[in-house]
Amino acid sequence: MPSMGKEVTRRQAVRTGAVLSLLAFASPTRVEALVGETARARGAGRFLSGSELGTLRVVCDRLLPGPPRDPGPGALEAHAPEAIDLLLAAFTFDPPLIHAGGPFSGRAGGARDDFVRFEPLDRQAELGWRIRLEGSRGRRSRQFAGPAVGYQEIYRTGLARLDALARRRGAASFATASAPMQDTLLDLEHDRVVKRMADLALVQTLEATLGPPEYRGNRNLVGWRRLGWAGDRQPRGWSDAEVTQVDP
Amino acid sequence: MSKPSVVVVGSGAGGAVSAWAYAQAGHPVLVLEKGRNLLPGIGGPGPVRTTFSNDEIKESRFYEDQDPLLEPRTQRTQGEAGRRVARSYVGDVNDLATTVGGGTVHWDAKVPRFWSQDFHGRSLHGPVRGADVADWPLSYDELAPYYDEVERQLGVQGDRTRMPARTLAQAPRRHPFAMGPNPPMVAGTRLAEAAGQLGYHAYPFPMAVNSRPHLGRPACNSCGFCSGFGCPIHARGGAAVSFLHPALRLGAELRDRCFVHRVETTRDGRRVRGVAYLDRDGRRQRVRADIVVLAPSAIETARLLLMSRSNAHPDGLGNRSGQLGRNLMFHYFTAGLGYFAEKVHAWRGPSTTFTLDDFVGPVTGAPARRHGLPYLKGGVCEVGGGVLLLDEARLLADAGFRGTALTSALRDLALRDHVAGIQLVGEDLPQRSNRVDLDPRVRDLHGFPVPRVTHSPHAFERAASAHFGPKLREICSRAAPGGLTTTLNDQLDALGEASGYFGPYATAHVMGTARMGHDPRRSVCDGHGRLHDVEGLRLADGSVFVSSGPGNPTLTLMALALRGARERN
Repeated sequence: MPSMGKEVTRRQAVRTGAVLSLLAFASPTRVEALVGETARARGAGRFLSGSELGTLRVVCDRLLPGPPRDPGPGALEAHAPEAIDLLLAAFTFDPPLIHAGGPFSGRAGGARDDFVRFEPLDRQAELGWRIRLEGSRGRRSRQFAGPAVGYQEIYRTGLARLDALARRRGAASFATASAPMQDTLLDLEHDRVVKRMADLALVQTLEATLGPPEYRGNRNLVGWRRLGWAGDRQPRGWSDAEVTQVDP
Repeated sequence: MSKPSVVVVGSGAGGAVSAWAYAQAGHPVLVLEKGRNLLPGIGGPGPVRTTFSNDEIKESRFYEDQDPLLEPRTQRTQGEAGRRVARSYVGDVNDLATTVGGGTVHWDAKVPRFWSQDFHGRSLHGPVRGADVADWPLSYDELAPYYDEVERQLGVQGDRTRMPARTLAQAPRRHPFAMGPNPPMVAGTRLAEAAGQLGYHAYPFPMAVNSRPHLGRPACNSCGFCSGFGCPIHARGGAAVSFLHPALRLGAELRDRCFVHRVETTRDGRRVRGVAYLDRDGRRQRVRADIVVLAPSAIETARLLLMSRSNAHPDGLGNRSGQLGRNLMFHYFTAGLGYFAEKVHAWRGPSTTFTLDDFVGPVTGAPARRHGLPYLKGGVCEVGGGVLLLDEARLLADAGFRGTALTSALRDLALRDHVAGIQLVGEDLPQRSNRVDLDPRVRDLHGFPVPRVTHSPHAFERAASAHFGPKLREICSRAAPGGLTTTLNDQLDALGEASGYFGPYATAHVMGTARMGHDPRRSVCDGHGRLHDVEGLRLADGSVFVSSGPGNPTLTLMALALRGARERN
C-alpha cells in the first residue's frame, strides 16, 4: 500500500500538470510571477503542504534568524523556505529549477539577466537530479549503486518527525513549541531522520539566503545587503584599486 | 595516403592538447568526452560562448562536475585494505570536472613548472623506505620546449625578473612570459611582504589567466569567482578554449556524453584497434582507430585499462609490470591562515596572485632525521587566498554555528573580508599500496564497476607538513599582527585521514597509476606515454607521472601530452 506521502506527491503532480504546459511558453518573468501567485493562493508550497511549509519556516528561522532575534534580515525575510520548496519541486518546471543560466545577471553590467533562464538538463543529468530529489523509489534504473533517499522524503519525514517529537514533549506541534525545545529537537544527533533533515536544511537555508536571487531566495537581495556582499560581479569585475587596496 | 586515425578519450588537459597536436599534423581525430558540452560554439567560426557564471549555488550542484550519485567512487585506507574492508566511503573521491574541457574548465590555472630535480628524484635524493621513488625517463631539458609551446598557447602571465635565482636554475626559461602579472591582490601583497621580512621570496604566480587580451580572449577583471568556477568571459586559458577549440577548427570531431568502457586490441593483444563506448542515448558503439590516446584522468585511465583486460592481458591492458593502478598520488595541502584587522577581501582576484617556493626542499639533516626520513620536501605555496560568502557560511555551519551565533559570525567575524591564507602544495610520495582498482560490488549508472581508491599518506607527507606548517603560520603572524593565526595541518589528525578540506582528499591534483619509465618490468608506458605492451595505445594524462612534484601538475601534464603527440608512432 502506498504511503500517504507518496499519494500526496502524486496528487500534486497531477495538479501541477496543467500549469506546466503553460509554463513551457511563459517568459522567465512570468514564471516568477506564477511561482508567487500559486504559493500565495494555496498557502502551500509547490511540493510541501501548507503545514509542512509552516514547519520548515520555523526550522529555517531557528537556523538563520532575522528580527527580533537578530537585527538583520534572516532566512524568512529572504524567503529561504519557499526557495527550498521550489528546489524540491524543481521538476514541475521546464527547464527544472536546478542550474540558473549565465553568464551574467545584469546586476554588474550586461544587458539582461541570463541567470533567470534556467539551464536544461540532459538525460543523464536529469537522472542524477531525479535520484537526488525524488530518491530511487525502488526503481531499478535508479538503484545501480543501491537505494537512495531523496531530498523530498528527507524533508517530508524529517518535518513530520519534528512534529511527533514535539507532541511527545507536550507541545501541539514543532511550530508552536518553545524556542529552547525547537533548538533541542533540531540538535538531536541520535535521531537519524531529524539529523539528516536538519543538516540538509542548514546548508540549503544558507544557499537560499545567500545565493543568487534567481533561485527564488535572497528576496530583494536581503541576504547580500545585510552582509555588504556584492554578489556576482561579471562582466564588470573589480577595478585595479578595488583589488590592490583594502576596503574602507 | 591518409594519416593514421586517432581517437582521444577525454577532452581535458591532456586530451585537448593531444587532439590539437594530431589535428595540426593532419590526422583525422575523434574526441570522445563522457561529460556534457557546456560551451556552445566551440569549434565553430564564432566565439566560444558559455553559461558559466558567478553562481555559488550552481557551482555546488554538479553543473560541470561528475555527479557522485551517477558515477560514485569508493575509498579506503591502506589499513582498511589490510583488514579486508572493501570500502569505507562511497561518493566523491577526488572527482574532476566531467565536461568538455575537463578540469581546466574551472581550474585555478596556476602553472608552475616542475623542477629539474623532480625528474631525477631517485638518483639525486635516494630511496625512501615504504615509497617507490623513481627517476622519470626524461629530463627537464627534454620537456622544456613543450613547456614553452603550451605556455604560449595557454597565454601565461608572470614576471621572470622577479623569480628567485634557484627557481630559474631548476626550471630555466628561454622566453619571457606572454604577459605581465594581474593587479596584485592586497592580501597576497601583505603576506608577500611579510614573507620577505622573514627572508623568503614571494613573486607573481605564473598562471594561465589573461592580464591583457590574448588570442581573442579578454583580460581578467578579477571578479573573484575563479578556482572552482567556469570563467564567464574566457579570460582564463584552458584545454577547451586554448586547445580543443582550435583542434576542432582544424577538423577534429568532438562527441560529448560518450563513455568509453573498453579499449579494443587485436586478438593477440599487441596492437590497439579502437574503443567501445556508450553514446549519449546509451547505445553501444565501437570505433576503429590506428592510435588511441587515453586522457580521462589518472583514476579513470587505470579503471579503463583494468576494465579492458583480455586473455592476452589478464590483469588489465598493458599491466605486465603489475604497476597499473599503483603509485596513485595526490598533493598534501597544508594551510596557514591569518585574520587581518582590515578588509583585505582575499577572494577578490584570480584566487591568488603570489607564490613562493622556498619550501620545495629537499631539507636534509636533523628535521628529516627526526622523522626517520632521509629528506623532506614541501612544494610551492599559493599566497593570499580567501573564501567567498557561501564558502564561509558552509564552513561556519560545518564548525557547528547555528542561529544567532551563525548570523553574528557572518556579520561581525566576516571571514570573507578578513581572512587570508597560504596554502602549501605538498609533494606526495608514490607508494605501491596507494592504488586504483575496480570496486568488487559498486557499479555506476551504466552498470560498470567504479574505481576504488586505496590511499594513505606516507610519513613523509605528514613530516613535511609538520615541518613547513609552522613557517606558514610565522608568515601569517607577521602579516596580521594581533590577529588569529593557525595551521590546519594539526587539525588533520583530529579530523582523520578523510578530512574533507585538507590533506590528500581535497585536491584535484591526481597523478600516477600508470607511470612512465624505461623498464617495461617496472612501468606501464615509456617516456612518450606509449604503452610498453600495446602498439598504438598511449597515455596523455596525469596517470604517467612518476612523482607528484612540487606544485600544480597541469602544465607538466600538458607538456608531456604535447611531447607524446609530437613523437610519431
